[in-house]
Amino acid sequence: MTTAGWVFMIVSILSVLLLTVYCIGKVLLYAPKD
Amino acid sequence: MSNEKEQWGSRIGVIMAVAGSAVGLGNFLRFPGKAAENGGGAFMIPYFIALLLVGIPLCWAEWAMGRYGGRHGFNSAPGIFSVLWRHPFAKYLGALALLIPMTVYFYYIVVEAWCLGYAYNYLTGSLMMGKNPGAYNDFFTSFTGAGADASLFSGLAVQSLIFIAITFAANFIVVYRGLSGGIEKFCNIAIPMMAVCAMCVLIRVLTLPANPENPEQNVVNGLAFMWNPDLSVLSKPETWLAAAGQIFFTLSVGFGVIINYASYVKPKKDIALSGLTATSVNEFFEVCLGGTITIPAAFIFLGATTLATFTSSSFSLGFKALPNVFAEMPGGQVFGFLWFFMLFLAAITSSLSMLQPVMAFFEEGLGLTRKGSTLLMFVITSLGTGFVMYYTKDLAGLDSIDFWSGELFIVVLALVQAIIYGWVFGTKLGQEELDSGAELRVPRFVQFVIKFVSPAFLIWILYSMLSSKNVAGELKIIEKLRDPIQLAGFCIVMGSLLFLWVMVFFAGQRWKKRGEPNLDLRTKTTGLSR
Repeated sequence: MTTAGWVFMIVSILSVLLLTVYCIGKVLLYAPKD
Repeated sequence: MSNEKEQWGSRIGVIMAVAGSAVGLGNFLRFPGKAAENGGGAFMIPYFIALLLVGIPLCWAEWAMGRYGGRHGFNSAPGIFSVLWRHPFAKYLGALALLIPMTVYFYYIVVEAWCLGYAYNYLTGSLMMGKNPGAYNDFFTSFTGAGADASLFSGLAVQSLIFIAITFAANFIVVYRGLSGGIEKFCNIAIPMMAVCAMCVLIRVLTLPANPENPEQNVVNGLAFMWNPDLSVLSKPETWLAAAGQIFFTLSVGFGVIINYASYVKPKKDIALSGLTATSVNEFFEVCLGGTITIPAAFIFLGATTLATFTSSSFSLGFKALPNVFAEMPGGQVFGFLWFFMLFLAAITSSLSMLQPVMAFFEEGLGLTRKGSTLLMFVITSLGTGFVMYYTKDLAGLDSIDFWSGELFIVVLALVQAIIYGWVFGTKLGQEELDSGAELRVPRFVQFVIKFVSPAFLIWILYSMLSSKNVAGELKIIEKLRDPIQLAGFCIVMGSLLFLWVMVFFAGQRWKKRGEPNLDLRTKTTGLSR
């Protein structure tokens, strides 16, 4: 796997993962009344 | 007007239901194939641009229009469109948002049944047929009836018919139980279960040893097959079209589902964060799981040359290539079951979302009870699925409805929605709707994107589809219409649209008698003005 391949994979996965964790975390932790 | 009792039980419930609608077979089978075919890692550049410029903004637009319509007592697209655009024609445009989920269900349920059938056959060990690609091809052909038309009814494919019956029954039992008591409860269980199954398979794939016969066929090289970027593809319009198309199909934008689901969100409750969360959950399944399981697993056992022949077809990759992989994988029977059961869950959460928008219309437009709408929907979808089940040779019946409804009309509806939101409903009102109860600030430029960029992007996609030519220089759409099965599929889709328009006409008469849509309600309940 080339360095560019690793970069594309890690950046893509991490950006989606962080967005998902941020959104779900915000929904679950900051809106407990729901 | 619709039954006002129908509402989501919880916020996480609506997010799970919308995410469940979006997460489907495409996340695990279509996405990796498209990425590998279109520049690997480089595909992610147009993919993320399309997500940011079209996917997320249009999702937000649908959420806003849906909740707005729901606040005025409408849950179905014809009613919601009538509220958004005070014109008699609006409700007929709304029929498009019923047509797509209804007709896609005709064939999607069949593919869903394949997934359940494959999971069952892994459980019983029938699909562990060793290293024998021909055997898996034969199994697929016999299970789906792809060898000849009407072969599912020949008496030799009893198992397939049983699984189609089971999936049909499961879908209708869940939707009959209602929005909160059926769909929401089911998705709250199914989505986490799906994530667990996918994680198990992912761990197995990432810890697979290299192929002893060819050590070059290992996990890292499998990931390289999927992710090594070929930046030259970025200059090709086809790559951008493929990325934009993938974003559409994966997010269920222009599907008529989000607008319906969002209409059940309580007034003053957040839709901005919920919309983004549902989108991000879908992306998690697609990029993080779909992008790391399918291709690397297939690469280890099949190698680059054989794998390249499978990436252009989701069905080939999922139902022909992967069984070869599970046959050779340690613990393959268990992981094969987990994989196909996960695909089944992904499919059923999507198919449930295809029934609800139309049933909501039957209830609020024709005054049917839940029982009545379930029965009517069952009859209609049985007829449509009957066509797909009869014309199984080379899966032509399935392909025809998929093309007309799942590829062409989906773009038309997305364009209609973008125009209604941006140019009729208005971006000012749209922003107010998104901001109402929002726990996440939607940037103002999103409105500009929905008004100008999204429609332009959609017109380009539509034009590219309609102007696409075959090697002989003939328009592909004309070529399709000359094929009898494609023509039959077109007639079924157009016939369904005609049927829905007649129903919408009667619904319009009914609403008119009742003085609905009551547009004064908008100012009374929200204080918003236009």
